[in-house]
Amino acid sequence: MLIHKDMKMAEVIHLNHHLLHLINRFGIQLGFGEKTVEDVCDDYDVPLLFFLEIVNTFHDPSYFPVSNMLQFKAGMLVDYLQKTHQYYLEFKIPELESYIKRLLSDDSMEPEIKQLLSDFFQQYKTELTTHINKEEQAVYPYVRALEHFIDTNNDKAEFIQRLKDYSIHDYEEDHDDVESKLFDLKNIIIKYIPKPKDSRILNVILHELFELEKDLNNHAHIEDLILVPIVEKMEKELMTRSDNSLI
Amino acid sequence: MQSPVEILIIEPSFLIREGIKTLLSQMEVAFRMDESDAMVHNLNRLIQKSNPGLVMINPSMMTENLLIKRSDPELSGVFFIALVQQDLPDAVSSQFDALLHICASKTALIKEAEEILTKAGILSSEKESNTLSGREIDILRLVALGLTNNEISEKLFISIHTAMTHRKNITRKLGIKTVSGLTVYAILNKLIKTEELKGRI
Repeated sequence: MLIHKDMKMAEVIHLNHHLLHLINRFGIQLGFGEKTVEDVCDDYDVPLLFFLEIVNTFHDPSYFPVSNMLQFKAGMLVDYLQKTHQYYLEFKIPELESYIKRLLSDDSMEPEIKQLLSDFFQQYKTELTTHINKEEQAVYPYVRALEHFIDTNNDKAEFIQRLKDYSIHDYEEDHDDVESKLFDLKNIIIKYIPKPKDSRILNVILHELFELEKDLNNHAHIEDLILVPIVEKMEKELMTRSDNSLI
Repeated sequence: MQSPVEILIIEPSFLIREGIKTLLSQMEVAFRMDESDAMVHNLNRLIQKSNPGLVMINPSMMTENLLIKRSDPELSGVFFIALVQQDLPDAVSSQFDALLHICASKTALIKEAEEILTKAGILSSEKESNTLSGREIDILRLVALGLTNNEISEKLFISIHTAMTHRKNITRKLGIKTVSGLTVYAILNKLIKTEELKGRI
């Protein structure tokens, strides 16, 4: 079922409570009363169409964003993606770490095994953080600079050249190993922990890992399906304008 | 996917032959079937003709003094299943590899057919296919210790291609993709000791 502007926001949450995190990223908080999606977006000054595309891509992974997606401002999208990064680094990962800490201090398993899990999680955290930093320090600034150029028509040759040296396709790459680590961590916990005395804390960790995975998949999905096409369009424009300015 | 197994069925009842085919399909066995509803006088000639890996035969279709000569090289590679309504005297049943009780209830029939086909090597039991072979465990140990495919192929005197195939099978069987994940698995299963890792990481 698609989420549309006339649904009550409270109904949206009843339909899929996982959307709460996403909605928070737009600055929207609980206490919706009887307001519709459109009303709430108006209240918080959130572009309605953009909001709908984001929640629908999450709600239904097979949903393909259509509505005038190329008209979205790249900066708006990058703002959203940065908020999700913040959510991982400042909320989700520390939350997982606190569960790992609890695991380390209980006596459900041999200390060595707990340490092994904790180390593997730390490795995963390092890789995820590195990946995020790369996007924050290289990809997003490039996208913002490109958009700035398109908007202001800054035609300094040096600036144009710098933009032309890059392409968004240089960055379409290694979600791979980060994803594999998460996949492995889940399977190790599900299949290969030798008989823990009590698996409740492991259940919680697993649940969090599944949630994180779903969110990360959606993040990558939005980058591939929405961000990349928008940036490609801007790159074409850059080439056309700079060709013209040479003549 | 396995290549289809050649089956020769010798059974007078059309319904039973069709029933066997339905049963095999439901069990997702890939097969090609030759059918015969005639009395058997010369088993070897039939076998030569259709060259089956598996023969299902209703014992009442065998002429009185016909015995399956299991020492005959032509018959040695063939798996013989008797389609029976009840148990046979030992002297008769001993010439078959297995008996399938065709009047059994659905659950019992499927269970028996599964056991027989596993014994015949046609169905591989789930357990078997997800257990690492000895060679795969050798390779897994080396991967976990941080050796590259190249180093593994030199150490075990196998081609890089073979080493990579083993790696793929290990990942498929365990559901673990990364080297560090495989290392954790190897330690958890005591295939390597943590001390062995020192100096490699």
